[in-house]
Amino acid sequence: MSGQLINQIFLQVMTGLQLGAIYVLIALGLTLIFGTLGVVNFAHGALYMLGAYLAVNIANSIGFGWAIVVVPFVLFAFGIAMERGLIRFFYNRPHTDQILVTFGLAIVIQEVLKWIFGANNLPFSMPSWGSGIVRMHEWVPFLEGFVAYPKWRLILIAVSFATVFGVFALLQFTRFGLIIRAGMRDPDMMKFLGVNISRRFTIVFGLGALIAGIAGIFGGPVTQVDPEVGMHMLVPSFLVVVIGGMGSIPGAVLAGFLLGMALSFTAEYAAIQQIIIYLVAVVVLLVRPRGLFGQKGLME
Amino acid sequence: MTKEKTNNSADWSRRKVLKAGAASAVALSTPMFFTRNAWAEKEAIGNFPIKGSSVKFGFNVPQTGAYADEGADELRAYKLAVKHLNGGGGMLNTLKPSSLKGNGVLGKKVEYVTGDTQTNPDAARTAARRMIDRDGVIMYGGGSSSAVAIAQQYLAQEKGVVFMCGLTHSNDTTGKDKRRYGFRHFFNAYMSGKALGPILAKEYGKDRRAFHLTADYTWGHTQYQSIKEFTEKEGWTTVNNIMTPLKSTDFSQFLTSVLNSDADVLVLNHYGKNMINSLSQAVEFGMREMQKNGKQMEIVVPLYSRLMAQGAGAANIDGVFGSTNWNWTLQDEGSQAFVKAFVKEYGFPPSQAAHTCYVQTLLYANACEMAGTFYPPEVIKAMEDFEFEGTSPGKTLYRGADHQCFKDILVVKGKAPSKQSGKYDLLDIVSQAKREDVIYPADTFKGELGPYKPA
Repeated sequence: MSGQLINQIFLQVMTGLQLGAIYVLIALGLTLIFGTLGVVNFAHGALYMLGAYLAVNIANSIGFGWAIVVVPFVLFAFGIAMERGLIRFFYNRPHTDQILVTFGLAIVIQEVLKWIFGANNLPFSMPSWGSGIVRMHEWVPFLEGFVAYPKWRLILIAVSFATVFGVFALLQFTRFGLIIRAGMRDPDMMKFLGVNISRRFTIVFGLGALIAGIAGIFGGPVTQVDPEVGMHMLVPSFLVVVIGGMGSIPGAVLAGFLLGMALSFTAEYAAIQQIIIYLVAVVVLLVRPRGLFGQKGLME
Repeated sequence: MTKEKTNNSADWSRRKVLKAGAASAVALSTPMFFTRNAWAEKEAIGNFPIKGSSVKFGFNVPQTGAYADEGADELRAYKLAVKHLNGGGGMLNTLKPSSLKGNGVLGKKVEYVTGDTQTNPDAARTAARRMIDRDGVIMYGGGSSSAVAIAQQYLAQEKGVVFMCGLTHSNDTTGKDKRRYGFRHFFNAYMSGKALGPILAKEYGKDRRAFHLTADYTWGHTQYQSIKEFTEKEGWTTVNNIMTPLKSTDFSQFLTSVLNSDADVLVLNHYGKNMINSLSQAVEFGMREMQKNGKQMEIVVPLYSRLMAQGAGAANIDGVFGSTNWNWTLQDEGSQAFVKAFVKEYGFPPSQAAHTCYVQTLLYANACEMAGTFYPPEVIKAMEDFEFEGTSPGKTLYRGADHQCFKDILVVKGKAPSKQSGKYDLLDIVSQAKREDVIYPADTFKGELGPYKPA
């Protein structure tokens, strides 16, 4: 392979990773909530938007560093309140009811934000430590000549990976994670064993919202912040969850990056680019109705 | 059951009475309606004739969406135009020939209603219908977005209400989609190409390879065609073009394709927030410090505005070429009169979108005064082939054959932050392309204006 071609593929892959990184972050919370609580949360895009709005306002007033500290906590609290105040009443109702109520909530959040901040885009500039380009050819040995990539997008990829590993470690290596995983398998048995599983699940819901907040902080400067961005991100993120298999974390990660790659590699073909994510979804679901890592019989 | 039936029949008869009442009211009013028109010797078209001592204009601008910044400035200009029409001032002192007196239009006080096009043709049409049907506007205007302008032009023709285009730059507006009831003062993509082509070749050389990113609707399409045509005439090669959805905010995947091509010029056929995002992201991707084919990589934004330059940031636009209809730093009498009035009112200078909307409102009012009536066919005829000065440098012609204005336009370049005097001084005027150099034969584009009286 010529050096030129390697450079080109490298850049396309970076762009794919970077596009997928936001989808992964949003889908991660979505799939976590579905996997534990069995709720299809259509308000998850709105949570992302809420995170982005909070982040842009905090960043513009007291600095970006504070946004990173404050926003996840606020979103965590918001998630807990949302689960206790609304979602828990819908556990035993059909998925359609859950979709309707969460979708309604998404519209409410969207309109409230529009009411407070107006319908226009809020400019979200990245912090000075995150702007500029990284000269990739100085770091990656197989690249030739001049290959640069925006620093912020690299940070976004890194944040996405770090969050995925964080969630993975939490579920795999802690006592809390063990209980959650057991609860996902058989919540009734956990109750018989005297474990307060619903309290843990509430925390998981808050965690999902927290991750949406992280996505809002780091994705905001890329997707921009306006009242439609929530709905805009919801559809691809939901597709990521479906393609990956409902409730599967590795599935969501793989599917997120898969869609990012698909968008990146079809950029030159405008007609295909606008439908590619749906095309991928159709193909995957035809071949494997439960999604890439989905459990057998679940939403198949 | 029986009782219910009786009740029903009673209802019906009451309804019948009401219906009969309404019908007779219409019948009674009809002869009056005819009499009045026979007396005025002009039949009713659209919202003509106007009753009362005031006349209403409709201003339909994008208050949300990708072009909302332009829309906000357009609305400021419209309000100022109404103020001047009613009380004098601004370009009323410089427009020549002018029949405007500063006491309203034809003795009637000017009022206005506003609407939000949402940068979306369907929303624009709905808002326009409301203005026409409910508010009874005699003329309406606005933009931005050519798709929106064209949709409204068709509605104008259908309704018999004149539409004065705001910011619309697509060739189609006064080309294949031109309408008798639509008028455009703003320049178009063809003129941009004609003015920009030679200057780009002079600055960047004749052996250049261009990659276009284009907003996927009428304006983007015609601008891509025109810039391609006039740069290829200078010897440039067009490597590729990607149509990007108007709603895009992240252009990274398209910019990656640009990086991976052998193009050494990136042409952004984007406007408003689209351009702000695509240009700042192109800079993020290092395109302004890159060498391609042994040459410095360059970015061109064929349709420029001061608002966009502001949004994209002075450092990002430094040295980037483009064209513009008008800039507030122009020193002619008309431009300065407008800038002074606008600054006095709002505290900062107007954009090109504001300028075109302001001029359009005055031109319509002036045409009514010239015609001595609001009767649309007469007003349209007064505007067709009207030549005037005192709104921008030199003379302007409203060509009757396609309702397009021809005047000098500007080729501009982003100003380096170090050279700016004040935060609104963002564009450097490289050259003033003469009207005779950018004008083209009316039959360059197909299309028919349609009849003076709406069918």
